[in-house]
Amino acid sequence: MSKIWTRMGDGSAIELTPDELRQEIVAGSEDAADKGQIPALDENEIDKLVEIFSAPWRVIGVEPGHEVPLTKDETACTLVSSQLSSGAHLQISREDAVEVFERVFAFDTMELGWIDYSFKPAKPMVSLDQVAVERLLSTTIFPMLYGAMPNMGLYYTPDGPFTNPADLLPLMKMDEARAEEMNAAELCMEDMIYVCKRFDEIGADGIDFDTTASAGDADFWATLKTVEELKKTTDLGIEVGMSGEFILGMHGEVEYNGKRLAGMFPHQQLKVVEEAGADIFGPVCNTKTNKAAAWNTARAVTFVKEVCKQATIPIHVNVGMGVGGVPMFETPPIDAVTRASVAMVEVAKVDGL
Amino acid sequence: MGNEEFYKEAGDAIKACDKEKAADVAKRALAAGIAPDEILKKGFIVGITEMGDLFERGQVFLPELVLASDAMSAAAAVCSAAVAEAGGDEEVEEAIVLGTVQGDVHDIGKTIVVAFLRANGYNVHDLGRDVSADKFIAKAEEVDAKVIGMSALLTTTMREQKRILEALEKQGLKGKYKTIVGGGASTQNWADQIGADAYGEDANDSVKKINALLGR
Amino acid sequence: MQLNHRMRLPEAKKYVADKLKVSTFDLSDSTVMRNLREELDIGCVEAIPGLAKGLAAKARIADLLDIKIACVEKLKEKMP
Repeated sequence: MSKIWTRMGDGSAIELTPDELRQEIVAGSEDAADKGQIPALDENEIDKLVEIFSAPWRVIGVEPGHEVPLTKDETACTLVSSQLSSGAHLQISREDAVEVFERVFAFDTMELGWIDYSFKPAKPMVSLDQVAVERLLSTTIFPMLYGAMPNMGLYYTPDGPFTNPADLLPLMKMDEARAEEMNAAELCMEDMIYVCKRFDEIGADGIDFDTTASAGDADFWATLKTVEELKKTTDLGIEVGMSGEFILGMHGEVEYNGKRLAGMFPHQQLKVVEEAGADIFGPVCNTKTNKAAAWNTARAVTFVKEVCKQATIPIHVNVGMGVGGVPMFETPPIDAVTRASVAMVEVAKVDGL
Repeated sequence: MGNEEFYKEAGDAIKACDKEKAADVAKRALAAGIAPDEILKKGFIVGITEMGDLFERGQVFLPELVLASDAMSAAAAVCSAAVAEAGGDEEVEEAIVLGTVQGDVHDIGKTIVVAFLRANGYNVHDLGRDVSADKFIAKAEEVDAKVIGMSALLTTTMREQKRILEALEKQGLKGKYKTIVGGGASTQNWADQIGADAYGEDANDSVKKINALLGR
Repeated sequence: MQLNHRMRLPEAKKYVADKLKVSTFDLSDSTVMRNLREELDIGCVEAIPGLAKGLAAKARIADLLDIKIACVEKLKEKMP
């Protein structure tokens, strides 16, 4: 039986028989269905994924007419920063980088972010970023956002004023850990609101909250409350992009509108993001490096398909290194990236990548 | 009370994160003639395994997981003391030195791994975050560790895992300790490339890999 | 249309296509759109002398699509 050349979740090349490929896809989908308590992909969708992964070409694309907007977070960092942000460290300005993404790489929206890409360090530099975005708003045509990560971990020791829950939990100081998490969330929220409002003042099109909930449920809460405030008081469009497929319960009891945030899977995250008033949701599904790319893509597509089914707002799925079915490798193989992207468009029916 | 009821009560004590109850069930089960390893394997370990599974499903959260692992330690201590009293060799928990590498302050994942390992009966020395190669090695030597675990979230800081392995090599200690790497950017390929003995995909996988490394 | 009007993709494509008087299929056909962009003077990828660029192109897009674009509104506020 002929073998199909494909990838593992760490990017290494493997060969599978057609039967093995189908089994991987079915198993990946069933894993998502089991974890998220959502429907697995149906036979037609499995067939489509088999077709996508069996295509003999290195690079594949969507059917004509099925094109979706292509967006990018942490834009400037990719060209300007170092390996820290998988960056190429070109000797160009961040503003140059954004213009390159519009006119050379043909992206459909773009954002500017501070080089560290977290709200906390961006706050004291906000006037610099304001003028950078202001300039870009007059030189570019595509929607121009400001982007940063809530990154609530920066509010804990050693980087911030609050005792690190990772130090308190092993001492069984649960209440103290939870109190510190909420203290950090409040301060994180204050900083995010302050920074975001500065971009409303200069007419930015929107804000991208990237890698949301990386420090767990309180981090997610801080973002949702920030979004709520911004939608009440500004004209900013808001995208909420996630950090992982389920909300880590560092606190475990944080609620938003009566719903416990810890343990939420993408379709549940969507609902609170919608309630907060966000305009675009960016789900994330993590890649398992010891599973095949086909397994990972099927799993991610199963989660994201349910999100798209339930959504009332556009869904821009994260498809990049280590997420959305893409292998965890700094320069992800283009064959795997295009397969994951096509699967997200043709099967999950996303509104953008 | 039959053995099955003790096993269930033991598992339930862990799932309820009840340290006192776990120790109490262990004492009563031993008094009723159940062997220490039986009540551990068929009761307490079943409970903690279920907690780990629920955590991965987003139905149990980190505080509960940490409390459950503490209850597990209490039960294991009672069982271990009983073995010693009966004249057997008190089971010594194998020491693991674990931390987030120098230059990296991301320690949420590492904290979860620590909880999983403690729940599985390991004596974990959590070095915290931003830990230098020298500190990893000094602690491993001090506590006679069996395993050194190195966590790194970033593509830049994962290179520090390689430096620790190189430092072990330089000091003639490579092979004395089993080594395992983990964290967001690490992969099996990376572990192979730098010569680590294992790669832990997540907390559960790390426990499995360390069990395998130590022949458990 | 997605970011500021919460339109899902099919709705957003239809809205834009209707306003531009083309089909949704045409929106991703570069030969159709290149000519249309020049004709409507809403900005092209290449730097063509005399054609609207940046904010000027956005002002024309806001008008064509009958939407408000924040930075265009800011510019209007600054006009004497």
